[in-house]
Amino acid sequence: MTGYLVRRGGQIVLTLFLIVTLTFFLVQAQPGDYAAFYAFNPDLPAEVREQIRATFGLDKPLWQQYLIHLKNTFTGNFGVSFGHFPRPVIEVLAERVPRTAVLFLTATVASFYTGFLLGKAIAWRRGGLLEYTATISGATLFTVFTPAFALMMIWVFAFKLGWFPVGKFLDPLVWRSAEVSANYVFGFMLLTAAAFTVFAFLALFVFRRAGRLGKGSLALPVILAGGLAIPLIWAFSGIGGLALDILKHMVLPIATLTLISFAGTMLLTRNSMLETVREDYVMAARAKGLPEKLVRDRHAARNALLPVVTSLVYSLIFAIDGSVIIEGIFSWPGTGMTLLQAVRTEDLPLVMGAMVFIGLFALIAHMIVDVLYVYLDPRIRYQ
Amino acid sequence: MARTTHTTHTTKWLIWLTGLGLILALLVQLGCTREVEVVREVVVTPTPQPGAAPQAGVPQATVAPAGAGLATAAPVPVTPATAAPQAAATQPPPATGAGSGGGEIEEKVYQLGISADLTTTNVWAYLGPDTTIWNQYVLGGGKPALYTYSAQRYDWIPSLAADFPSALLEESVAGQTYWTTEIALKHGVKWSDGQDVTAEDFLFTAHTAADLELTGNWPSIVDPEFFDHAEALDSYTLKIYFKKKPGLARWQFGLAFMPIFSRAYWAPVVAEARQAGEIVEQQKVLYSHVPQDEPSAGGYRFGKWERGAFAENTRNPDYYFTDSVVTEYAGGAYAEAKPGVYEFSAYGETGGDKTLEYTVGPYADGAIYSVYGSQDAAVLALKKGDIDFMLNPIGLSRGLQEQLQGEDGLTTIENPSDGVRYLGFNFRRPPLDNKAFRQAVATLIDKEFLTDTVLQGVAIPVYSMVPEGNRAWYNADVPLIGQGMSRAERVAQAVALLKDAGFTWETEPRVSEDGRFVEQQGEGLRMPNGEPIPELTMLAPGPGYDPLRSTFAIWIERWLNEVGIPLRADLTGFNLIVEKVFDQQDFDLWVLGWSLTLYPDYLEAFFHSRNSELEGFNPGGYNNPEFDRLADELLEETDLETARRQVFQMQSFLADDLPYVVLFTTPIVETYRSDRLEFPYTDNLGGLQDAAGLTTTVQIK
Repeated sequence: MTGYLVRRGGQIVLTLFLIVTLTFFLVQAQPGDYAAFYAFNPDLPAEVREQIRATFGLDKPLWQQYLIHLKNTFTGNFGVSFGHFPRPVIEVLAERVPRTAVLFLTATVASFYTGFLLGKAIAWRRGGLLEYTATISGATLFTVFTPAFALMMIWVFAFKLGWFPVGKFLDPLVWRSAEVSANYVFGFMLLTAAAFTVFAFLALFVFRRAGRLGKGSLALPVILAGGLAIPLIWAFSGIGGLALDILKHMVLPIATLTLISFAGTMLLTRNSMLETVREDYVMAARAKGLPEKLVRDRHAARNALLPVVTSLVYSLIFAIDGSVIIEGIFSWPGTGMTLLQAVRTEDLPLVMGAMVFIGLFALIAHMIVDVLYVYLDPRIRYQ
Repeated sequence: MARTTHTTHTTKWLIWLTGLGLILALLVQLGCTREVEVVREVVVTPTPQPGAAPQAGVPQATVAPAGAGLATAAPVPVTPATAAPQAAATQPPPATGAGSGGGEIEEKVYQLGISADLTTTNVWAYLGPDTTIWNQYVLGGGKPALYTYSAQRYDWIPSLAADFPSALLEESVAGQTYWTTEIALKHGVKWSDGQDVTAEDFLFTAHTAADLELTGNWPSIVDPEFFDHAEALDSYTLKIYFKKKPGLARWQFGLAFMPIFSRAYWAPVVAEARQAGEIVEQQKVLYSHVPQDEPSAGGYRFGKWERGAFAENTRNPDYYFTDSVVTEYAGGAYAEAKPGVYEFSAYGETGGDKTLEYTVGPYADGAIYSVYGSQDAAVLALKKGDIDFMLNPIGLSRGLQEQLQGEDGLTTIENPSDGVRYLGFNFRRPPLDNKAFRQAVATLIDKEFLTDTVLQGVAIPVYSMVPEGNRAWYNADVPLIGQGMSRAERVAQAVALLKDAGFTWETEPRVSEDGRFVEQQGEGLRMPNGEPIPELTMLAPGPGYDPLRSTFAIWIERWLNEVGIPLRADLTGFNLIVEKVFDQQDFDLWVLGWSLTLYPDYLEAFFHSRNSELEGFNPGGYNNPEFDRLADELLEETDLETARRQVFQMQSFLADDLPYVVLFTTPIVETYRSDRLEFPYTDNLGGLQDAAGLTTTVQIK
């Protein structure tokens, strides 16, 4: 396994190098550059326009610019953003990633959980009303034109019914007197989610080790109690109201994202389940007289989980990529919108930084999935 | 049985814990929060005078937004934001207590929507490498300038200056010849930290910009080719030294509009920057500074920036110009007065019909600029009442205008924009250097048909390089080639022009009897030298980038083909056009656009022959010594009236000589919540967005 990980590590570095190179030259292939924005000011003398190019390092030959970007990337310093001059790229990304992560990680988890539950159910009871309803509605939502659907959601639930805000991630009237920044709250939200996940896993681990995970186990109540402690902690944090405001703004985009994407997981789970329910061990479990729910959840669904988990891990990782459409329509300024804006204005360091960041996470995701396979399927072993 | 027990057990837990969760959520909702409930106060008292001041930082000249070029005109000349005189208090006014009890804070907040976030709050950077229209909307209003433009009419008027400057004098100091001018400043204008705004602040700002060789818009404000240095004769008298005689563009409409920054606040930052080594490093240190409580002298001071979400400016209760009454008269006079403090009038005798009168605010306690990722979302927010007005340099698209039609509490306004779209010719390639040929092309283009019939009024035909909306500089007597002609008349006129110039056809074009279409297309058109006209290519933006320009291009191709001119419209990307036209000069004709400044010195930049080199602004290579002479005179002119005459003459010249066929401009359509806002005026070149939403003069109902 160690040898495999080392080899994969080497491959990641090589692939990253290719990503950096390809991105750099693709962006460079566009006509014009960032300084062209200033080039069309007749009031600026030619030498001043040249000076602007020098400020951004665009006066250097292409190969030199490439080497500089390569160096910046592999030293972890992505350089200085042209569009946010002179802020370092890493600072711009660090500002945007938490917002995207909170929204899209939540949406991804919600979407996968919904999809998995529905997929499991419709595979188990084929031909029923639930299968037709879930499949048709899921497929319809999966193929719907996202911008139109998102706008419709806003129109219905925010504008007509007034249940939720029209986009944005906070209400300025609430936040204008806040003493902390939104990123501070986002950071704590992520921390809370991470802490709860660790707590839940630890609880499960401890109960399993103690052999107390079966019927009548206290594992679930303990985890739930842990979950319910979260609002208590936030209530006394002094920023609970601010977090609540963010949560209020998250509902509509998360609902939209879940609705348009749960069908993917649902159909994947369904197909995977349909294969496993034909397996001998499922028949054996039924023959033993085990309850249907137990056979479905413990014997069939668990074995059908492998491709679903793979898909989930990739989705979680790519959640940091965000979505230009969803972020744009819901006015949620995350990495997706940042990347689009950077490409439009040829803010090369920011494009490179965002792409490398996403690429790096994708490569790590692949490795995590490979490792997860070993734990999920004992038949898999890497040499 | 065991399973049933387990389920019941878990259900109990779930119910118990859910209840607990609900209680906790309620706790969070009710207490332990720091939010302030804001109640909008409804003003029931009659409005004294709709107020609009000499707008602080009004973007009188268009600054190129990063995204706007994608949707509207093409290359955009960038000029400085100007700042009007303002003064300030020592303490911020977080809220205006209304005495309603209960600890509620009652405020009148002007809520604006913007389409992109700020990129900086550093004013040096926002006029430097971080120039965006969004930065300008928010940051442009807090700094004083010596002079500014008057509302609506764009008269050049004093702001921080007490009066007009002394005439430029040529004088010799220590063997060096300078052009100098003296300016007296108003007394009593204060920064929000309580210090006086003095001549030292001007010196500090101008010298910093010059010494640190600041880039972006700075060189067009403090032009190192002209500006040498300034002196403070006393705290309220400035003397400026120019290396050579500056024309209006460099002095009155350049340096005089420079935003002035607080020396007391910025001096330590600049001192640190100067220690940073090379100039570029010095600039980086200066631009990197994140201001905290930077003093303002405007109607508002910068309050808060929640990145990606909103920015807020808070009212400056001691703004110097608050309660000033501004009056503009039909006879051209301008008057401004604050009883017991100052009075000023210019441009003729006051009296007669008033065209505009208002009292300066600000009337709102704060202005919040909320960021919306799309116009659709912003429009829904406007309809819902989350925002009062949207700031957008390109206005509302047709689809969104229709969405807002008939909505209660909303009013839509339309204003001309200070920009043009044009068709340019490459004079290096015959027959494009032939004046009769260009006039024939101009005659064949039926702008009114396209704007009124095809484009259903979303564009306005234009005939001069100075759009009609720029009232002070527009020449209404420019030749209107082809206007009002039928198709038959246009074809006949074009054929006559070409024939007179020596062009010949193998088959001459013929118009149908009813005069509605060309039934016989012209063929075999030859130039006066007998050679056939080569295949011509017209570069134009594609419909994805700008459907208006691409529509024009397609029709121009058709109309020219009908008379036998072998033209092909090449609809392509904006960047590709720029590269071919400006960087390579490898083209025949091109269609692009310009956003323009109020003072039309751009006429020199676009059409003087010295600018026809590669990457110059006259890529068509237009070369006319008579025009060059006029342009040179304009650059050196220091008298407004003479400059106006020159600009009028240049417009007539260009409308006849046609290095560009000016095609159209687009109106700026904006919608605001008229149930909440009352503007002192809504007719404004470039729309109310060009006046930054009139934050210092808008009344909140």
